[in-house]
Amino acid sequence: MLDRRSVVSALFLGFAGIFSILSGTVLAQEAPPIRIGFSIAKTGLFASATPAQLNAYHFWRDQVNEKGGLDIGGVKRKIEFVEYDDQSNAASAVKIYEKLITNDKVDLLLSPWGTVSHFAIVPVLERFGFPVIGSTASSVHVRELNVKNMWFVSPSTHDKLSIQLAQMAKEQKVSRAAVIGSVLPQSKEIRNFLVPALEAAGIKIAVNEEYPPDIKDMTALLSRIKAANPDGIFVLSYPADSFLYTRQAKEIGINTPFQWLAIGPTIPAYRKMFGSSVNGIISMGHWSPAQSHWPRAKPFYDAYVARFKEEPDYLDTVLAYMSCEILEEAVAEAGLDKAKLREVINNKTFDTINGPVKFKGVENMTTPVGFLQIQNEQFHIVWPAEISTAPIQPKLNW
Amino acid sequence: MTSFFEILTSGQLLLAALITGTIYATVGLGLNLVYGTMRLLNVAHGEFLMLGAYVAFWGFSLFNVSPFLSAVVAGVLTAALAAALYFGMLRWCLRNPRMRKRIEPNSLLIFVGVSIILQNISALSFTGTPRGYQYLSGVMTLGSISISANRLGAFVFCIAICIATLIFLRRSATGLAIKALIQHKEAAEIVGVNVTRLEFFALCAGFATAGIVGALVSMTEQTTPFMGFPFTIAAFIVIIMGGLGNLAGGIVTGLLLGFIETYGVAFTSAAWSSILLYGVFVLALIVRPEGIFTVRQVVR
Repeated sequence: MLDRRSVVSALFLGFAGIFSILSGTVLAQEAPPIRIGFSIAKTGLFASATPAQLNAYHFWRDQVNEKGGLDIGGVKRKIEFVEYDDQSNAASAVKIYEKLITNDKVDLLLSPWGTVSHFAIVPVLERFGFPVIGSTASSVHVRELNVKNMWFVSPSTHDKLSIQLAQMAKEQKVSRAAVIGSVLPQSKEIRNFLVPALEAAGIKIAVNEEYPPDIKDMTALLSRIKAANPDGIFVLSYPADSFLYTRQAKEIGINTPFQWLAIGPTIPAYRKMFGSSVNGIISMGHWSPAQSHWPRAKPFYDAYVARFKEEPDYLDTVLAYMSCEILEEAVAEAGLDKAKLREVINNKTFDTINGPVKFKGVENMTTPVGFLQIQNEQFHIVWPAEISTAPIQPKLNW
Repeated sequence: MTSFFEILTSGQLLLAALITGTIYATVGLGLNLVYGTMRLLNVAHGEFLMLGAYVAFWGFSLFNVSPFLSAVVAGVLTAALAAALYFGMLRWCLRNPRMRKRIEPNSLLIFVGVSIILQNISALSFTGTPRGYQYLSGVMTLGSISISANRLGAFVFCIAICIATLIFLRRSATGLAIKALIQHKEAAEIVGVNVTRLEFFALCAGFATAGIVGALVSMTEQTTPFMGFPFTIAAFIVIIMGGLGNLAGGIVTGLLLGFIETYGVAFTSAAWSSILLYGVFVLALIVRPEGIFTVRQVVR
C-alpha cells in the first residue's frame, strides 16, 4: 500500500516530467536568438555624435523583433545585441571586434561610429573573413585597399564628395573660399581632395587652416576669415566644432552666402540650439522623408519620430538604419554563411529608406552624393537635382 | 591679412579671451577650493558641471525657467550632492587617520568612481543624445564688438562669482578662516578654526560652483552626459599652474590661459592652439612646479 509520502513524490515527479516535456517542446519550437555585435563610442570625444547611430540600431532591432525576428534563410530568430563602448578609441574598437568574433562568437556584426574606427577594424574583418556593412563612414583609403569584407553605405567617398561640393559651390558663384577643419583623419582626407577640387573649379583658396579637435574658441580664426571676405566657407568639422563655429560665426557676423559644415548640423540639437539663424547652412546628406522616390523614407521617419519624439539625424541615423536594412535583406537570402553573405552583398540591389543600393567594390554606386540645406528650420536635399526636394538658397544672415 | 596692431587693438579678441579665461577661472575656482581645504582631487568636477547643465536644460525645456535661475538651483542641488557624498563617504575617509594620510590618491580613486557613476546614470536617465535650447541667443553689438546675449550673461555671472569669492575670502571671518585652513591646517586648528565645519562648507561651495557654471555653459554648448571631461582637464591645468590651493592665483591663471588660447591663435594659427596651451603648462611645471603664483616658502 502506498503511503502519503510516496503519493506526493509520485505526483511531483509526474508534474515535473510533464512540465519538462512541455517546456522542451516550446524551446524546440523557438529558435535561439541571433547575436549581433558591435562597438560604439559611448564615452570620450565622439560620444555626443553616436546616439543617432545607436538609436537606429536599437530601433531596427525592436522593429525586427516585433515582426517575429530576423529572417535567416527562412527561419525567424530574435535579435540580441552584444554591444561595447570603445571609448572613442579606434584601438579599443579593434580589440572589441576581435573579441566579438573569437570570444563572444557573435553571428553577425554591425559597424562602429566614424571613419577612423571603420578603417581600424578592416584588418580584423579581413583576417577572419567577417563581413560588415559600414555606416557612418567612407574612405578612399579603404577603397584602394580593395578589401573584401566591408562596404560603405555612404556614397560620400571623399574624392567624389569633393568634386560634387566644388561643382555646387561653382554653380553658386563662389570664387574665393575659406577651408578650415579639424586635424582628425576624416577632415584631413576631405581637405586633401577638396582643396584641389576647388582650385580645379577655379575657386581661389583665401584661408586654409586646421584646428585641434578640442578647440574652445574660434574668434581669432573666424576674424581672419572675416577679414579675408570669402564668398564660400567650408568647415570640415565634427559635431562639437560645428556647434562652436556656428555660435561664433553668428556672433562675429560672418554673412558669407555659402557655408558648408561637414558633420553636426543634422543632429537635432543643432536646430534646437540655433533655430532660424542656421537657415541656409549646408551639410553632408542625401536623404529626406519628403523625397517621394523612396517609398520607405516617410514611414521610417514617422515611426522614428513616434518612438523617439524627435527627428532622426538625417545623416547618421539614416546611414546606420540603411546598413541594418541591407544586412537584414542579405541574411534572408544567404543565411549566416560568410562567403554566401559576401556574394549576396556584392551582387544584390537592396531596397532601403534611401532607395536602391548596389555596391561595386566597397562603394555604394546607386545613391548619389548629396547635400542638405536648412530652410525654414527643416532639412531639404538641394544637391543633386535628380533627388533634390528644394532649390538651394544663399545664406542671407544669422 | 590682419596686422599685429589690429590684433592687439581688436576688442572682439579681447572679449573672447576674457570670456574663455573667466570660464576657465570659475571652473578652476571650485576645484581649487575643494583641493585647497581638504586635499581632495575631485576628478568628477566636470560631471557636477554636467549635472548643472542638465538642470538648466530640463528647467528651460519643461518649465521655461531662465537658465540664470536654474544656475542657482543647480548650485543648490550640486551642493546637496556634495553634502550627501560627504556624509556618505568622505567624512569617514577624513576621520580615519590612515585614510586621511593618503587622502589625495584615495580621493582620486573615489572621484574616478563618482565620475563614471554620474556619467552612466546621466546616460541611462537622459540618453546620450546631445541636448540644446535657445535662450538669449540674439547677438548684441557695441561698436566693433559683437556678442550673443547668453555668452555675455554667462561672462558677467562668472565674473560675479570670482569677485564675490575673492571678497568673501578677504573680508569675511569665514573666508579668512578658509584661507588660514588652506595655508596651514594644523595652525588654523590651534587658533580655534572649526576645521570640520569649514571643510564641509568649502566642499559644498566648490561643487556648487561647478553646477552653476554647468547651467551657464548649457546656453552655449550642447549638453551631453560626457561634456564634463574637457572642463575637468581645464580646471586641473588652471589649478596646477596657478598653484594648488591658491584661489587668486587660479583665477589669474584661468584668465591667462584664455589670453594664450585666443591671442596665440591670432598671432600664429588655429593648429597651434593646443600646442601653445599645453606648452605653457609644461613650461610652468618645469620652471615653477609649485604654481606660477605661489610664493616660495623659505624653510629655516
